[in-house]
Amino acid sequence: MSLAITGYTATSGLGCGVECIQGSILGNRSGLRKNDFPGCDLETWIGRVGVLETTLLPRHLEHLDSRNNRLTWLGLQQDGFLASVFELIDRIGVDRIGVVMATSTSSIGRTEEAYMHLDDSGLFPAKYCQPEVHNLHSPGIFVAEATGLTGPSLTISTACSSSAKVFATASRWINHGFVDAVLLGGIDSLCLSILYGFNSLELLSSGPCRPFDMRRDGISIGEAAGFALLVRKDLAPEAEFELLGYGESSDAYHMSHPHPEGKGAILAMEQSLKRAGLPASSIEYINLHGTASRANDLVESYALSRLFPTQTLASSTKGWTGHTLGAAGILETVITLESMKHGLLPGTLNCDHPDPEFKFPILTENTQKPIRTAMMNSFGFGGNNASLIFGRLND
Amino acid sequence: MTLLALVYGVHSFLTGRRFVTESDAPLQPGLIPPRERRRAPQSVKMAVEVLDQACSMAAVSPASAATVFSSAMGDMQITDYLCKVLVAPPRLVSPTRFHNSVHNATTGYWSITRNSHAPTSAISALNYTASMVFLEAAVQAAEEDLPVLMVSQEMAAPAALRTICPSDTPISLALLLSKPGLFSAPLAPFRFGIQRKSTDWPALHPDLDEPFKGNFGSGLLPLLAAIASADSVPSNAPASFEFPLSKSACLTVSLKNRGNIGAQYE
Repeated sequence: MSLAITGYTATSGLGCGVECIQGSILGNRSGLRKNDFPGCDLETWIGRVGVLETTLLPRHLEHLDSRNNRLTWLGLQQDGFLASVFELIDRIGVDRIGVVMATSTSSIGRTEEAYMHLDDSGLFPAKYCQPEVHNLHSPGIFVAEATGLTGPSLTISTACSSSAKVFATASRWINHGFVDAVLLGGIDSLCLSILYGFNSLELLSSGPCRPFDMRRDGISIGEAAGFALLVRKDLAPEAEFELLGYGESSDAYHMSHPHPEGKGAILAMEQSLKRAGLPASSIEYINLHGTASRANDLVESYALSRLFPTQTLASSTKGWTGHTLGAAGILETVITLESMKHGLLPGTLNCDHPDPEFKFPILTENTQKPIRTAMMNSFGFGGNNASLIFGRLND
Repeated sequence: MTLLALVYGVHSFLTGRRFVTESDAPLQPGLIPPRERRRAPQSVKMAVEVLDQACSMAAVSPASAATVFSSAMGDMQITDYLCKVLVAPPRLVSPTRFHNSVHNATTGYWSITRNSHAPTSAISALNYTASMVFLEAAVQAAEEDLPVLMVSQEMAAPAALRTICPSDTPISLALLLSKPGLFSAPLAPFRFGIQRKSTDWPALHPDLDEPFKGNFGSGLLPLLAAIASADSVPSNAPASFEFPLSKSACLTVSLKNRGNIGAQYE
C-alpha cells in the first residue's frame, strides 16, 4: 500500500466544504434540524443541505438533473477539488484516472418524483425519461461527465459501508496497475424511501441523534457528498495524507441488525491493522460508525474493547451531520483527515451521559491533540463492514 | 496480466444450445433456509442459486470466497413497490421490503446462510455492469489471494420502469475467479486485461438475442457459452473476448487451452 490522498472535500448539513466542518466542530454547532423535507411529515431531525433546491446544474449536465446529482455537482465545486482533478488530468491523462463512486439510494428521489407524475398509460413523462439518472450508477456517470474522465468507472452500493469500500476498490485498481489514480467518493441525498423506510424499522430518533448516550433512541438521517483523489505515491510528492490500510468483512448474522459480538466489525478492523502493519496501540483516534441506534453503539463499543487499549480516543460525529448512509464513509474520512490536519479531535455531540453499559470509553468533548494515525469505521445493512486507516505525511 | 481460473453458474441460460426459462428449471428451494427464504425476494433467490452452482462446480466452500454482486438497476420490483407506496399518504413501507431494497441484499443473504465472514460488495456500472463486475472480481482475486465469486444479474422491469430499462427476461450468472493454484478442481485458465479500444458487446446466440435485448446482465453469456462448450467439445483453439468497459476502453478475456481445462497455467 503506497497510496497518497492529494485532495478531498465534503458537503453536508454542516455546509459546503471543509471550513464548515471545522467551524461547526469548534463551535459545537450541529447541522441537524427538525424535519422539513418536502412531502415528509415524520417527526424526526435531518441533516439537510439547504441550498440544493436552488442549485442548478450547468447546461451540459442538465439532462442528469436529480437532487442526488445536484448534491454531487455542489460537492465537486468545493475546496478547489475540481481544480485538483483537472491538474491531475493534465499530468497523467483522462484515461489513467478511474472513477469509483458510492451511494446507497442513488437518484431514487427522482424516481419517486417520476411515479408521482406517471402519464395516462402509467409510464414516465418525457421530463423524467432519464435512463442515466434512474439507476444505481448515476453518481459514477455524473462524475465522469462532469470531469471528462474516461477511465473505468463503477458505483459501489453496500448500504452504509459503501463509501468506505471505495478506498479498497481504488487501492486494488491502482496496485494492479491499470490506473494511476482514482477519483473516489460517495453521495446520498434525502428521499422519501429512506425516511419512511428507516421509520418502518423504528430506527429514527424523534430528536437530534445522540450517539453513545444512554438516552439514545435512534438515528437522524442526513445527506452528503464527499470526494477524494487517491494517487500512486510517487506521483504525489506533496501529499499530506496516505491510506495505510483497509479491511472488509461480513457479519453473517442478520440483514438489518449487527452481529451481537461485533464479529464482522472486529474482523474489518483487524484486517485494516494487518494491512497497515500496525499494532492497535498505534491508532491515536477512531472515527466511529456510531449511528446512535441502540444496537450499533453497544456492539461497536464492545468490538473496540476487544482490540484497543482504553486510552485510544474514539468518537462519533453523527451528532453534527446525521447518518449520511452511503456517503458516511467519505464524509467521516474527510472529517478524520481534517482532525489530523488541525490537531482538533471531535468529541461526540449530544452524548451528555455515556451509556454505562459500554465496554469502551467514548470521547465526548472536543480535544486538542496532534496525531499522525487514525481509523474510520463504516458498517452497513446486510452485515457489510469496512474499516480504513489513514496516516499523515510530510511534516 | 494475471492468469486465473474460472467456473460458472447460470440461471435463465442455455444447456447446450437450448434456452431454459425459469419454468423449465425451477429454483432449488433448499438453498436458503426457511427463515430467510420467507423474506428473500426472487432476485436474491436467483443469485443464491447461481452462486451455489459455481461453488459446487469448483468444490469450494462459500465461506472461503469473497463475493461481488452486480446489477445495473438493482431490484426493480422493490423500487417499483417503494415508489408506488410513497406516491401519497399514509406511505406505510414494509420493513422487510425496505431492508431487502439495499443493493447488497444478495450478498447479505448469501453470507448469512453460508456463515461467511468474507468480504462482499455490490456494484453497478449501467451499460458496462457485466464487464465491470468481471474486472472488479478478477482484480480482487489477483490482489487479495482469495477466490472471488461474481454475479451478473438483471431482473425484468415492471411496467413503469420499462421506459428506463427494457429488460424483460431475468438473468443471473455467476463465475468463480481465483489465482491459479488455489484449487484442485478442473477450471478454465484465462488471462484478462484492459485495452484502449472502442468495441461493441459480442453477439449472443441467435436464440438469446431477442429475450436479452436491452438486458444489462447478459453481456458475459458468450464467455460462459465458450466455457460450457469446452466441457463437451475439446479444442485447443483459444477463445478471446472483448467486452466494452466504456466508450473508449474494453476488457479482454482469453480462455487458454480449452480442451485441457485446469491442466496448464502460465
